[in-house]
Amino acid sequence: MIRHISAENLLRNLKVQLLLVFAAVLFILKLFFSPVESFGLILLNEALVISAVAFLLFSINDFISSGKFNLLSLVMNLGILNAIMFFFITFSDSILNLFYSNLGDKIKNPDLIYTIISFFYVSIFVSSLCYIFLTFKQFYFTGHKYERSIYFNTMTIFFLLSVSTAFLDKFPELSYINHTFLIISIILIGINSIRISWIAFLSKKEKLLLLILSVVILTLFILNLIKSGDDTTHYKILNGFSPALNNFLQLMMIYGIGYFSILFFTTLFHIPTAEAYDRKAKEVSSLQYFSRLITQVLDFNDLAETITDIAIKVCNADASWISLKQDGESRIVANKNIGFVDADSITKYILNESKPSLEKLEKTIYQLSPLHDIPQLSEKYSSLTVSILRVHSEIKGYLFAAKKGDSIFDDEDKDALNTFTDYASVAIENAKLLEESIEKQRLEKELDVAREIQKKILPSKNPEYDGLDISSTFIPAFEVGGDYYDFFEITENKLGFVIADVSGKGISAAFIMAEVKGIFESLSQTSLSPKEILINANQILRRTLDRKSFVSAAYGLLDLNEQKLFLARAGHCPILLLRDGVTQDIRPSGLGLGLNYTAYFASTLEEIKLDLKENDVLVLFTDGITEAKNSEKEDFGEMNFEKILIENSHLSAEEISNEVIKGVTLFSQNTTQHDDITLVIFKFKQKFNLFGEKEWQNSVLQSKTRVI
Amino acid sequence: MAEFSTSIKDQGNINIVYLKGFLDAHTAPSLENTFSGLVDKGRYQIVVNFKDLAYISSAGLGVFMAFIEKIRENNGDIKLSSMSDKVFNIFDLLGFPLLYEIFKTEEEAVKKFNEIK
Repeated sequence: MIRHISAENLLRNLKVQLLLVFAAVLFILKLFFSPVESFGLILLNEALVISAVAFLLFSINDFISSGKFNLLSLVMNLGILNAIMFFFITFSDSILNLFYSNLGDKIKNPDLIYTIISFFYVSIFVSSLCYIFLTFKQFYFTGHKYERSIYFNTMTIFFLLSVSTAFLDKFPELSYINHTFLIISIILIGINSIRISWIAFLSKKEKLLLLILSVVILTLFILNLIKSGDDTTHYKILNGFSPALNNFLQLMMIYGIGYFSILFFTTLFHIPTAEAYDRKAKEVSSLQYFSRLITQVLDFNDLAETITDIAIKVCNADASWISLKQDGESRIVANKNIGFVDADSITKYILNESKPSLEKLEKTIYQLSPLHDIPQLSEKYSSLTVSILRVHSEIKGYLFAAKKGDSIFDDEDKDALNTFTDYASVAIENAKLLEESIEKQRLEKELDVAREIQKKILPSKNPEYDGLDISSTFIPAFEVGGDYYDFFEITENKLGFVIADVSGKGISAAFIMAEVKGIFESLSQTSLSPKEILINANQILRRTLDRKSFVSAAYGLLDLNEQKLFLARAGHCPILLLRDGVTQDIRPSGLGLGLNYTAYFASTLEEIKLDLKENDVLVLFTDGITEAKNSEKEDFGEMNFEKILIENSHLSAEEISNEVIKGVTLFSQNTTQHDDITLVIFKFKQKFNLFGEKEWQNSVLQSKTRVI
Repeated sequence: MAEFSTSIKDQGNINIVYLKGFLDAHTAPSLENTFSGLVDKGRYQIVVNFKDLAYISSAGLGVFMAFIEKIRENNGDIKLSSMSDKVFNIFDLLGFPLLYEIFKTEEEAVKKFNEIK
């Protein structure tokens, strides 16, 4: 890469060096053999001149094509160069003569001075002409880089032929050669001058400027061409230096005349349609804006910003804002170049106070006399237009655009805004859908975490006690429901248990559940009284539960030696006792945890004692079972639940549980489970007794059993 | 998703809030807004009519707990009326009858407010 660049630089330097060498040789030639008269010398002179000009062209070409030029500024440069040439051509007589007459007397070697002056004079012209030629080349290749370069190249070759045969003018019998080449060159100029499509891309303003410039420049070209043929000092110097240069000058002037007269007329005819073209160009660029909209849907606020930005450009507004309907109210989601308060008051004024019909809203361009209509505005807005953002003919909101000062929207602005609004609506809708789906994903993640917490909180296996058959089943709902149950193995004969349901769902319920577990785990070690444990749990939960949350719980203690159950219930579903083919609710009174933190809680909480006998089944459950829904939104209900329990009461705890779950699942098939299902079943077996004494005790107890 | 709506009727100083549909974790915020609207306006005597309420979840029950303290501090109350057996059962299990006055009809609840005055 570096080598490539340096090679290019070397080549450039070489061109400049060759140019200087040719110029120097030419200078020496002029100095010693002036005026040149023999045929050989003329030939040499012409060769040197043409070579020098060629290398000058190459050098300037490197310079021009390396940068990016505005075409209008190139036109301007042409004008300036032409003006300079015009100045020299017109005043060459008076200035140069004055120069000679003053210097000629004082200096010994007037020839040298004459050579130097003419050399510089010629240099100015040659440079200008080269620049003009290259500018034309630049014009020619704008818009079509390489195709059809054959026309231009052919023209260049005929220029070269014409220029190199220019000296034949001195020999009248041969001058027809030069003339032929000249005429062919002129024809090619005509052909090449038609390629001026670049002006189509100019804006109206630029076209007007170009029109004026082309008149001036065309005039200069014509004047320069006419004057350069006169027998003036200029002619003497240039033609005397080399007829080729004069020929080159004439060719360039002719090219200029041809090109600029066509340019002038074309521009003139383009002016009436310039505005329409500008509008089309704007439409094209707004298509680019739309594609920007599509890429920005990832962030709703960014999108709203962009929409207001583009709205301003699309309809030449000063300010723009979006009012979206959210939860039944209009809210401004983005405002550009206008204060929120102003945007809000104008929106309210338009939508609420004047209550326009939708049709009217889309067609009207409002004229605001701000002081009169909306007194509290901080800036004066003169004109306002509103477009309706809608998706599937449902109105989502409004896009406003306003102008300040004295300018007023026209119908085309209004149309442009309406068109743009259609795209904006779609983009807004997409952004919202995307946001929702991201939110949904986030919730699902959160629920995964909640389910994970719940899984870790619940006991991994059931405790094992002689004479007690335990089963526990837990089926989580998609949105974690906050069910919790646990066993506390206090002694080998005493088993504590708890079942609870935290209000609410999801991760917040899962966290409360985790705390509830901690509370019962520690309290179960400090007391044997379910009532005391629940009262303490209520007090501890006061610190964490907010006013809206509560926990329903039931805590029980099974004393297997004494065959007794102690139970207190804080707002939880009743415990079912299944005995002799009948179910009975065990439902001591009690408020849910977190509903009341005063002494009232303790005063309403009841603890009961229950004697148990063989084959008794205790069923703990949460409302996930009784409130399981079928596709008609009916509840599974207590009746169904109890029926299954009674029918299967002879089975083991595990089997009873399976039957219940089967029943619930069958009932609620084709629906989603909306709450956690928890089912814990204790079945009392005849305790294996080494001494036979227990059995007797049991039979006595049996007669005393009291069911509440 | 379950539909839920509320409407309010003014009856002197008493506001009667009618609940309709399914009150669960998703629809509870709507009832919360209704209550906070009343509380903000200083309307503390509220009767809630459950006649058309099909279902209430624990999150729905929580809404009543959220406002009762402030309302009672301002000598107001939330009285509940016209519950279906199913809805009453849910309130009953949690012990709500120990915390709230629950009436068979809206009229009885309104009458109770007027008696106090």
